[in-house]
Amino acid sequence: MINKDLGIDFLGVHFENPFCLSSSPVDNCYEMCAKAFDEGWGGVVFKTIGPEHFKIDEVSPRFDELTKEGTPFVGFKNMEQIAEHPLQENLDDLTKLKKNYPNKIVIASIMGTNEDDWVELARLVTEAGADMIEMNLSCPQMTSHAMGSDVGTNPALVKKYCAAVKRGSDLPMMAKMTPNITDMVPAAKAAMDGGADGIATINTVKSVANLDLDKKVALPIVNGKSSISGFSGKAVKPIALRFIQQLRVAAGMEQLPISGIGGIETWEDAVEFILLGSTTLQVTTAVMQYGYRIVEDMKNGLMHYMEEQGVDHLSDLVGIANKNILPAEDLDRDYKVYPKIDWDKCIGCGRCFISCFDGAHQAITWDEKTRRPSVDYSKCVGCQLCNLVCPVGAISTGKIEMKPGRQGNVEDIDIESVRLTH
Amino acid sequence: MSNNYTKEDSGYTMTTVAEEAARCLLCHDAPCTKACPAGTDPARFIRSVRFRNIKGAAETIRENNALGAICARVCPTEKYCELACSRSGIDVPIDIGGIQRYVTDFEQQAGMKILEKGKSNGLKIAIVGSGPAGLQSATTLLEKGYAVDIYEKNTKPGGYLTYGIPEYRLPQNIVDYEIKRITDLGATLHLNTAIGSDITMDQLKADYDSVILAVGASEAKMLPMFDDQANVETAVDFLARVKDAKGEVTEPDNVVVVGGGDVAMDVSTTLKRLGVKHVTDMVYEEFAEFRASKKELAGTQKAGVTIVDGYVPESMTGNEVTFKHRKIDAEMKIKADKVILAIGQQVNTDGLGITTKRGEVPFIGYQTQDPKVYVTGDIAHGDKTVVWAVRKGKEVAEEIDKTLMGGRQND
Ligand SMILES: Cc1cc2nc3c(=O)[nH]c(=O)nc-3n(C[C@H](O)[C@H](O)[C@H](O)COP(=O)(O)OP(=O)(O)OC[C@H]3O[C@@H](n4cnc5c(N)ncnc54)[C@H](O)[C@@H]3O)c2cc1C
Ligand SMILES: Cc1cc2nc3c(=O)[nH]c(=O)nc-3n(C[C@H](O)[C@H](O)[C@H](O)COP(=O)(O)O)c2cc1C
Ligand code: SF4
Ligand code: SF4
Ligand code: SF4
Repeated sequence: MINKDLGIDFLGVHFENPFCLSSSPVDNCYEMCAKAFDEGWGGVVFKTIGPEHFKIDEVSPRFDELTKEGTPFVGFKNMEQIAEHPLQENLDDLTKLKKNYPNKIVIASIMGTNEDDWVELARLVTEAGADMIEMNLSCPQMTSHAMGSDVGTNPALVKKYCAAVKRGSDLPMMAKMTPNITDMVPAAKAAMDGGADGIATINTVKSVANLDLDKKVALPIVNGKSSISGFSGKAVKPIALRFIQQLRVAAGMEQLPISGIGGIETWEDAVEFILLGSTTLQVTTAVMQYGYRIVEDMKNGLMHYMEEQGVDHLSDLVGIANKNILPAEDLDRDYKVYPKIDWDKCIGCGRCFISCFDGAHQAITWDEKTRRPSVDYSKCVGCQLCNLVCPVGAISTGKIEMKPGRQGNVEDIDIESVRLTH
Repeated sequence: MSNNYTKEDSGYTMTTVAEEAARCLLCHDAPCTKACPAGTDPARFIRSVRFRNIKGAAETIRENNALGAICARVCPTEKYCELACSRSGIDVPIDIGGIQRYVTDFEQQAGMKILEKGKSNGLKIAIVGSGPAGLQSATTLLEKGYAVDIYEKNTKPGGYLTYGIPEYRLPQNIVDYEIKRITDLGATLHLNTAIGSDITMDQLKADYDSVILAVGASEAKMLPMFDDQANVETAVDFLARVKDAKGEVTEPDNVVVVGGGDVAMDVSTTLKRLGVKHVTDMVYEEFAEFRASKKELAGTQKAGVTIVDGYVPESMTGNEVTFKHRKIDAEMKIKADKVILAIGQQVNTDGLGITTKRGEVPFIGYQTQDPKVYVTGDIAHGDKTVVWAVRKGKEVAEEIDKTLMGGRQND
């Protein structure tokens, strides 16, 4: 079996691998974190610890899932707030974890209602022996508006509370950001100005995932009613990647240390987060669905990827895709690429024909007898929708052509991708 | 033991049916739909399942096929829709029958009433035989506004659905439910009434605007060597007896079945399900030329039946039957407690005023020389399956409507 060093340094702390449990029910107590460490996770961000005076009172049921065809958990909606266990029990768990797993990284997630809370919580978790602090500025379903994403969308408060944490502790600290905001850069800048050492993102996206059509109420139904609350899982990955990309290209933030979160469940997801600038990775929903064991394939797959890429240090991959992501106005619009249909692979389903007619440019003709499609080059715009819908990969990218009157050499044009060229 | 005979395999759940439907490629001009003899439109109902519209799926099935829940279970899909399925180009065809069963089970549980009777046009049709062809023609005619009487010589309706296909493949409550749907729509059933003896054809022709003969091949074929032998039973008698008794019958330990079609497979598997220790099926064809469907054959083999191919029965003395190989010099003698003959069924046209050759009327189409009399189902030209009986039932109704109403809409 392949074995490569997945070690990486983040905010001055060494992680044996970048995979961490994000703060949530998956790391709610000592036993859970211990099992996760035993199964190979590099770190845990312990379930968010709040101040003694803020009483947590949860609803039941508290989850919902978005499905598609036979696929469960396309996205996941939750109504949970922060840790329910008593403060002292949580602190004792942190101490015991660090004692029994000295080489694993224990990160304390905290959330206060005012400056004093933040200072005090930072002090307490530092005394308990945590390696790092994460500030939860982003839970979208807190019962107090002085907490969670209502704070995270207010840069002035973000800066003030970050400074407070820094007064209570000298541990490295990351601020966890909410995606329920048009532009994350001002909030992230405010966090850094307040003293944060890095950013963790994203927390869940405010959502209504499904409605009960008879009762006319969103799910989950909490004694007849429901609330907007946080959405996570695979469906939010594109949103998370977008925020991370934008943070890393904002002026002055090109080296921003990021812990990436949002819909990670395979090694490929993990690589995407790393290539856009995440140094460590955090996971919840996929663990809730499949258990801690998923880390095995994420680690092993990442090792194989590094091997294929000839990379020995994970840090060499961090953020290197950002240079290839440009504003839409800067892309090359001088050519188009036609689809190429392989009639030997084609099984005659006609999906390309339907999609090109109903969703593109009526550029595929259909032979009723042989059940084979052909491309009409005079109509094709090169969108490659047909390519994406073909269930057997019979359509790939074919001839490239410069648009009339445009300069350029078709040989130099690069559109190759595993997904489109098969 | 009877438990095993009455137990149907479990079907899909909402989750597993969604997974199966997600495998469907949602083809353009879908080959499966084109290959369904009855026009049940699988591509359309699978798409409805895919987009979570189970009620819409049920409508598609029911409006196209009055026996949708039955076809879901007994269709030889490997010869029809699933043979054409594009998904075979990737791996295995979509389990169209299984999806159809899920949808029709849902329809039944939800108590959906999909079919609607047409506004009366004052015309009356008599249907002779309550098998699938008779039932489908009744449905289509009722939808068009005709009054329909069905005459059945047996005590229960359904033809081979009730008296042939075993309970574990087609539970009788499904058959009853489908028939009730049709009587609810307005068909009147006259049971224990044989046409040609209890009522004459002339009488029927006088009383109705048209008569449809859907009498099927309801009698077993015999071989002279087995005439007057004790311990010999025909396949259809055996299957009817077991189904009627819900499997509460006692059979001896050692039974020989003669025949290699689907009926022989049903008999052999039924015997096994009843707990018979030694079931030996002697088949005329060699394996390469087998007539039974692959699905049925596989089920029979799984049940533990001994199948011997290539042998013809020669004679029977006492309880010993002698078989000879058709092609090589070989002979087999088997002492059996009982012999069941599954060598085919034949049509009885006594008093019906038609003739058949090799189980079919000698012409293509439905109208006989007597313009008032039509044929449908197994005795009409075409495949001898339930789904074809449905097709022929729809087509004969359309043809009658064209003749009597000149294709006019009745509204
Ligand atoms: C054991 C067995 C298993 C089968 N399995 C399958 C299967 O899995 N899948 C499949 O597709 N097909 C199967 N078939 C074939 C299928 O059952 C027939 O193709 C189908 O039943 C034909 O329908 P029908 O309406 O033409 O005739 P039938 O089903 O034969 O019905 C004819 C009806 O007419 C009645 N009748 C006859 N004469 C008179 C009269 N003079 N007066 C009043 N009533 C009369 C009979 O009593 C009977 O009820 C099977 C057949 C058998 C015997
Ligand atoms: C290819 C594409 C082009 C679109 N163009 C427009 C547009 O021109 N104007 C617009 O208001 N929305 C546009 N949209 C957004 C859609 O109208 C719609 O709001 C969005 O895709 C979300 O709906 P959906 O999840 O059903 O796709 C476009 C969407 C797609 C996929
Ligand atoms: S590339 Fe777009 S326009 Fe061209 S054939 Fe395919 S779907 Fe149609
Ligand atoms: S989508 Fe692919 S398999 Fe289907 S017809 Fe088009 S090229 Fe052939
Ligand atoms: S042919 Fe097969 S894959 Fe295509 S629509 Fe029919 S069931 Fe689906």
